[in-house]
Order: sequence, then C-alpha cells, then structure tokens
Amino acid sequence: MRSRWWLMAVSLAASGSQAQTNGWNMPVGVTDVSSDIYGLHMTIFWICVVIGLVVFGAMFYSLFRYRHSKGAKAAHFHEHTSVEVLWTAIPILILVGMAVPATATLKNMYDSSDAELDVMITGQQWRWRYEYLGEDVAFTSNMSTPRTQISGEETRGEHYLLEVDEPLVLPINRKVRFLMTSDDVIHSWWVPDLAVKQDTIPGFINENWVKINEPGIYRGQCAELCGIDHGFMPVVVHAVEEEEFDGWLAERKEAAEQEAMGVDREWAMDELVERGESVYQSICSSCHQAEGQGSPPAFPALANNEQLINDVDWHLDRVVNGVSGAAMPAFRSTLNPVEIAAVVTYTRNAWGNDTGDVVQPSAVAELIAQ
Amino acid sequence: MWSVVKSVLAALLGVQSNQKREEDFSSGRPAAYFVTGVVITLLFVLMLVFLAMFAAR
Repeated sequence: MRSRWWLMAVSLAASGSQAQTNGWNMPVGVTDVSSDIYGLHMTIFWICVVIGLVVFGAMFYSLFRYRHSKGAKAAHFHEHTSVEVLWTAIPILILVGMAVPATATLKNMYDSSDAELDVMITGQQWRWRYEYLGEDVAFTSNMSTPRTQISGEETRGEHYLLEVDEPLVLPINRKVRFLMTSDDVIHSWWVPDLAVKQDTIPGFINENWVKINEPGIYRGQCAELCGIDHGFMPVVVHAVEEEEFDGWLAERKEAAEQEAMGVDREWAMDELVERGESVYQSICSSCHQAEGQGSPPAFPALANNEQLINDVDWHLDRVVNGVSGAAMPAFRSTLNPVEIAAVVTYTRNAWGNDTGDVVQPSAVAELIAQ
Repeated sequence: MWSVVKSVLAALLGVQSNQKREEDFSSGRPAAYFVTGVVITLLFVLMLVFLAMFAAR
C-alpha cells in the first residue's frame, strides 16, 4: 500500500501531462486557453508545494530541534521590525509574481472579438438550446439517457447522464463566440475540455469563446443548481473538421427550410401524432411523465385532464404562452409551429384522451404571430 | 515630512515598531497623515493599474 502511494506521487511529479488522464488533475483540454489555464494551475500548484515544504519544514525542524526535553528556553521579545517586514514583503512578491501570468490569461479568456461564428446558448429547465446566429439553424439538446437507466431498471450505459439527442456541432480551428443566457433560472454551461464554465442568467447575455484544436466529442454538465433535473441536462460538443462542419450546417439549413415549408401544408393526424410523441418524450415527459400521469401538485396530469380534453384553445394557449406563476414555460420560441402542433395533437389523442382533434401547424403559426 | 511618509508606508504594509507609533501619536498634525495616506493609496492603485496593463500586454 505504501509503495503504491509512493509510486503515484513519483509518477505525478514526473509528468504533468500524464496527470490529465488519470482523473486526479484538471484536464489539459483541447484549446490554447485551456492549456494556458492548466499551465497556470500547475505553476501555482508547485509554488504552493514549495511554500508548504519550506514553512512546515522550518516549523517541524524548530519543534524537534528546540524541544523542551532538551532544555530549550523560549525567547521573550515584543517585536522585530525587520523580520516582520521580510515576511510581509515575500508574500507580496509571490502574489504579484503569480498575478502577472494570470492577468494575461484572464484578458485573453474574455476577448471574444473577431469570432467567425456566433452561437447563442440558452439554458432552460432542463435542456440547452443552441442557435447558430445568422444561419437560421437552432435546436434544443436534451439528455438521451433513458429514465429506466436512472431508476435502475436497466444497466447504465457508457456515457450515463452525459449523452444528448442533438449535440452542439462546432468547427475546429475557428474562433466561435458564445452568447449565453437563460429562459428561467441561472444555469451554467460547463465543458472542462474547452475550459468554459459560464453562468447563463435570465435577462443577461454573457460572452465566452472557444477555438478548438482537435476534433472529438467533449462532454460537460450544467454547473449551477437549477432545479429537480439539474443533473439531467448534460452538454455534448462535437468538434469536427471545418469542411465537415460547413457540410453539416448547410444540411441543417436546408432541413430548417423544409420545416418552415411544412408549416403551410395540411398535416395528417398520424404524422402529427408520430412527431408529437418524440417531442413529448424529449421535452414534456420530465415533468408530465411518460404516460401523461403528471406529478401533482406541481406538474398536473395530462391524461384524462377534463379541462384539456374539453378546450383545445385553452390547451394550445398553455403550451404556446406557458402558465405564469407555475413551472410550465412558454414554448413559443423554443419549439417551432410544427412541433407545437404535433405535441398538442399527440397529447389530445394519447393515454385515453380520445378527442380526435388535429391541430395544424399553420394555426399555431398564426397564434404565435398574433 | 519623511517621517510621515515612512509611517504611512508602514501602515500600508501593516508593520510598525511600537517606538515609532508612540512618536507619531505624540507629535505632528493628523491632517498630514490623512493627506499623505490618500496620496500614497492613489499612487499604489496607479501602480497596480500599470502592472496589470504590462501583464496583459
């Protein structure tokens, strides 16, 4: 046991870069800023180690060398100005010495100018929304770990609680600016490998940026306690080569245009129900539960809900505009008209709610435009 | 004058000998210490600003 600890200490000391993989240290990350931060962290760590050795070494040496049993007598004096000045000046110099490189890194970290791509990141209870500004591409990113794994009915997957349905896709070697805000409470968008951990605050827009050096999948989590499902809103970033990113973005733009055209056409009930079920499972089921049974009193049941069944306009209004003073958010800007129409149609025809109602995307678009 | 500056610098550092402290309290006008204190604090702030600008390049 003792030799194992010793080996670990030696291997930690021998190589700083190895420390990142064993999980004992912060990651070096994949951006210039993250490796700067790692370098600062290690520099300051070693400064602390040296100070600790000197201070505790001197203390333990004095305790041992001048112990009572050897007849040591305490010196009684009131002040010693030159020693006091010395032990005040040395920490000042050390602190200033550490502040110089840290200031340079901090300034670089907050300089989000000259970005080639702007991404708006919005925190919501409990998912992230990404919007590629000026590109007409936007989507929400929901945790894709099944609830059965969380409740223990199924064995946990490799990326348990750290997997999403739609990751944020970013190009490598391009400076990407993040504009970060929230729709409800304070969240925090945190990806250790990108060295970004920024609060998203309702009514404020925080800025941050990355320039990723290596393609890969980088995972993170919400880092600000934001409610019951705080642990269930992970962040996944796919960093891809520039050409691959351009291709992906063009594809998504085209899909968004297709979707916009879908608003005008007449949808069949089956299509809407099918689409609505997937929207329901990713967005609504965390509160209203998988079978629409809800979790009263905070989250009312949707199955066999009299008011919902009797009044389609009331139902649609709740989804589009939310319920003020309650947990139900407005989905008018989070979901598109097709998704809203689909999920309303689905909930009106699932779990015994046999209304037979079909809400068309065009009607939703009209309601939102009002 | 030099004695006042020295006392203010000692206060900034937080270290002063008891003998000097008693001297300061028995002679000199308080206003001189206030004014010198404000001026030296401003100089200290400016020094930090320049240091930060230098560090950030």
